[in-house]
Amino acid sequence: MPNITFILPDGKEQGCTARDGLSLMEVALQNAVPGIIAECNGSAACATCHIVVDDALAPMLDPISEHESDMLDFTAAPRAPGSRLSCQIKVDGRVDGATIRIPAEV
Amino acid sequence: MGVQAAIEETSSAVPVISDVTFAELSIDPYPTFKRARELAAIVRIAAANIMIATRYEDIMAMERDAETFSSVNPQSLVNKVMGHTMMRKDGEAHARERKAVEPALRPGAVKSCWAPKLEAIFDDVMAGFETNGEADLFTTLAAPMAGRALAEVLGFLDVDWQTMALWSQSLIDGAGNYSSDSEISRKAAEAARGVEQAIDRALAYHRENPNMSVLSSMIHADDPHTLDQIYANIKVAVGGGLNEPRDSILTLVLGLLENPDQLERVKADPNLWPVAFEESVRWISPIGMYPRRVTRDVIFSGVQLRAGDQVGLCVGAANRDASRFQDPDRFDVFREKKSHLAFGAGPHFCAGTWVARHMVGRLVVPRLFERLKNLRLRDRADVRIQGWVFRGPTTLPVVWDV
Ligand code: HEM
Ligand code: FES
Repeated sequence: MPNITFILPDGKEQGCTARDGLSLMEVALQNAVPGIIAECNGSAACATCHIVVDDALAPMLDPISEHESDMLDFTAAPRAPGSRLSCQIKVDGRVDGATIRIPAEV
Repeated sequence: MGVQAAIEETSSAVPVISDVTFAELSIDPYPTFKRARELAAIVRIAAANIMIATRYEDIMAMERDAETFSSVNPQSLVNKVMGHTMMRKDGEAHARERKAVEPALRPGAVKSCWAPKLEAIFDDVMAGFETNGEADLFTTLAAPMAGRALAEVLGFLDVDWQTMALWSQSLIDGAGNYSSDSEISRKAAEAARGVEQAIDRALAYHRENPNMSVLSSMIHADDPHTLDQIYANIKVAVGGGLNEPRDSILTLVLGLLENPDQLERVKADPNLWPVAFEESVRWISPIGMYPRRVTRDVIFSGVQLRAGDQVGLCVGAANRDASRFQDPDRFDVFREKKSHLAFGAGPHFCAGTWVARHMVGRLVVPRLFERLKNLRLRDRADVRIQGWVFRGPTTLPVVWDV
């Protein structure tokens, strides 16, 4: 199972193992990662599952759809270069060892 | 808590609340919701002959398990009245239709396209009564605003708000016509025909002039809607996109007028308007309940459910669950920030959320308080709030200085 590290809004780190096939949003909820609210439970409709992936991971992931990109412009924390909706990223080998930041709301 | 935690080993039959009348539920459902929440995960309400779920965590768990708690219901009155709408589909079939609708309703479209159009409608609606010094905000503001906004967003070219309101109410009544009242059925069928004809009149325009409207999105999508899908999904939007913004406009105004200290703080910090809007739909959720169908025998949070059972997910109750919201019956913009279920959760999470948030929380209510000086309730005793499946103020008489 891939290992991932969440960097929380307060800067602390939280490591966990993630089951293949889940979304990163589901992994975050299972591990009670603060800052991932996921009001729409993964329908890409609420923009409350915002994460920022690191430079190494970003280009390996499936590209951002037009819909996801629109949502990312309206997240509570401002969009950053590695911003994604965590509900749109499925766990597989690509995320093993990744650090994923939960951006702080301003 | 996930589904695993909610589905337990021990079980019992569904308890019944049999000493509450339908009228009592409609006047004030919250005491009954509280009893139901304390009694069991699923409770039958005898007066409405329906099983309801009322706890926040339970409804969340059901919404995360669409295989067990399905939106598909071939026999449902909604399907009879509106056709095969996306609201009553699951999985891929639902996702395909939803995707075709989404470009019209996402936040970018709201900002670039709908915000200025809604602002023009608001100015026009305000001009109609602004100098009167008194009004019922239901008829003067909330109903015309919500009706005209919906016609615009859907892409109707020639439908006034009174007709939108009539169609919307007739479709809703038809979808809830469990006693098969023939007059209600007739009105619903007439509204359905009216919507279809309005669509027929508008389609040629949208074919030739692609734009941000829902109708245009449906026909220009990569996977475009068939005519039957257009009819059905526009009917859903007419039935489900008018009352809720209308009612939440009035609820937010009421909550603030009853709590002048909160109103002052919100006016002083406009960033709080969106927070105030979320609190208003938590406090009195415009859609109090929506149904799911149980697809297999299952013990859910200690209650035995059978395949084929219908359960009403009472988000109006879950949004006042004291285990999640402190002092839940109180309107409090400054409560600890937590997500609620007023827009649902899961695949059917309200498609119109971003339009509603902008229209009510950023445009109509903030501007109303800016424009009407010293706005106040005429008399709290004149305010009426009604309903439990749909709930909101049915009259809101106010006065202001002119
Ligand atoms: C405060 C305002 C609103 C509230 C509280 C609200 C609430 C809801 C809820 C609870 C659902 C889920 C129903 C279910 O799961 O069975 C829903 C679905 C839906 N709403 Fe809203 N709504 C609002 C405004 C709007 C507006 C303005 C529109 C249209 C422009 C709209 C269009 C829809 C549609 C199309 C669906 C079905 C989505 C699907 O099945 O995927 N809503 N709404
Ligand atoms: S969970 Fe709502 S957008 Fe990802």
